[in-house]
Amino acid sequence: MELRAKPIRSDWYMMNPTIELDGLEVQLGGRTILHGLTGVLKSRAIGLLGPNGAGKSTLINTLLGFHSPSKGSARVLGLDSLTNGKALRSLVGYMPENDAFISKMSGVRFVRYMAEISGLPPNQAMERAHEAFVYVGLGEARYRPVGTYSLGMKQLVKFAQAIAHGPKVLILDEPTNGMDPPARKRLIELIREIREASDICLLLSSHLLRDVEETCDEVLILRNGQIASICNLVEERRANRKFLEMETIGAEATFTSALEGLGCECAVFTNGRIKVVMPDSVEIREVFKVAADKGVQIRRMNHRRDSLEDIFLNAMEQTGVADGRI
Amino acid sequence: MAVYKRRYNPYTGAFSPEWSRFFVLTRYAFAGLFKSRFFVILLILSLVPTLFFAGYIFIANNKTAQLLMQLRSAGLFSVETQYFMFIMIVQTQLAFLLNCWVGPVLIAGDLTNGALPLFLSRPFSRADYVVGKLAVLGLLLSAVTWVPCLLLFSLQAGLARNGWIWSHLWMIVPIVLCSGIWILMLSLLSLAVSAWVKLRIVATGVIFISFFIPAGLGEMFNAIMSTRWGILLNFSYLFRLIVEKGFHERTGQLGRGWDEIPLPAAWGVLILVCLLSLVILNARLRAREVVRG
Repeated sequence: MELRAKPIRSDWYMMNPTIELDGLEVQLGGRTILHGLTGVLKSRAIGLLGPNGAGKSTLINTLLGFHSPSKGSARVLGLDSLTNGKALRSLVGYMPENDAFISKMSGVRFVRYMAEISGLPPNQAMERAHEAFVYVGLGEARYRPVGTYSLGMKQLVKFAQAIAHGPKVLILDEPTNGMDPPARKRLIELIREIREASDICLLLSSHLLRDVEETCDEVLILRNGQIASICNLVEERRANRKFLEMETIGAEATFTSALEGLGCECAVFTNGRIKVVMPDSVEIREVFKVAADKGVQIRRMNHRRDSLEDIFLNAMEQTGVADGRI
Repeated sequence: MAVYKRRYNPYTGAFSPEWSRFFVLTRYAFAGLFKSRFFVILLILSLVPTLFFAGYIFIANNKTAQLLMQLRSAGLFSVETQYFMFIMIVQTQLAFLLNCWVGPVLIAGDLTNGALPLFLSRPFSRADYVVGKLAVLGLLLSAVTWVPCLLLFSLQAGLARNGWIWSHLWMIVPIVLCSGIWILMLSLLSLAVSAWVKLRIVATGVIFISFFIPAGLGEMFNAIMSTRWGILLNFSYLFRLIVEKGFHERTGQLGRGWDEIPLPAAWGVLILVCLLSLVILNARLRAREVVRG
């Protein structure tokens, strides 16, 4: 019996959100790791951010069906991680964060092995394994045992095995860990290229905000097992809001309240650092005027756009995340 | 992903049937095993006794050969139930040695470097994984236990004629059944131990001593408590008991009254070991380990 690959329509991700979380709670070892996450992520490329212990890997493992939710549900492309686990995993290419290889097997044989387990016939698996190896730039090392590879090469092998069988959803957990800057840059380019060349959906977890910023359209920020923010980077970029970053000395509270009176949004940090989002109607000279009125010295001022770092820091500093919804 | 273009192309070809994917593990495991010279030598050595057994059967049924060898005693060569019991015992002991070497190789390699999440992140369950690995041991241990036994049985049936096969046909059942439970127990035990300790050499040692330490403890229990039930921890004894009962014969190797322990108790213990091994495999073969506390 021969099964054909189920074609996924190019508008599949438009019909079904890439990830849907519905009150997802996961308990491990008697502790609640994810606290009732609720959210819908519709973009094709989703970044997963959060500090250590925020629950990023637990969320990925739950989406893959490695952990069962104690409450709620998680769906990827409309497939429930618990009840449609096998169907979901047949769409997935997964690159784990930790070491995952068979040390005595040659690189290309290892990738072929994994492709065959995904269901590719032996000949096709071999062809795709060679292509994946050349594609990730390890063509010369393909016949060496994986155990002899450097850390960066092992990352690329994990990436090769994740893409060799042509998945519809690519889940990458800290893909650039242990890679030198050129290798990291190359991998990020590959990820972007794959994203643009196919209808693949991407879920990328990383500590490096730049990795997420360069590859993703939407970001899910986790903190203490709760959703701290869901941010559509495309819309953020489109909004092109005006940002001011200032270092001030003086009465910050009255200064910021006066700016808010002008319609600005302010975030106050330590050492007199203030970030201001200005509406189009407000000009910079009005900020100087308010500062002069309130007796505040502006020691430094940067005029910049909102970056993922700002979004992330704001999400981390926000309080009162009541039910996981933003 | 055309190589010359170095660009990504999605896969749109055919997929193999899901039910057959466990066999990928079996195929790759055999390919890996046959790369090891030690394994090949061990396998050949495990099959060498079969040649001697076959030679014995040939001589036993060939008067000319007996005359040439100047063997005149008619009762010297007898190929009956006891002979096949002896073959069974020898071959299953060799299977044990083979299993000690092969079992840990199958799983430990995947676990030491965390490859399990890669298997389980595909449309491939833990049951598929265990079945794939069990098939390796099942095929391998069959090749040195009941398969040569049945081949020798066929050889004897062909050479003896005179309706020998019809009067001995019942022996096929104990040959297959006794080998089956032994293979199943050895395979599951070695996979469970390998999944538990992860390191290949240590796993080999643990499998080896798991047959001797409990037997010693059982003897101590018998001596202290003045009972006979401690023998239930001696798996080799239990297997021989099952073989003897199956063939309705005594080997004289048990050193005790052959009906000392009830047969269902012997079967029960071996099945219990299988179930315990499955419980260990279920607990240890997980994509992600959860640390409690």
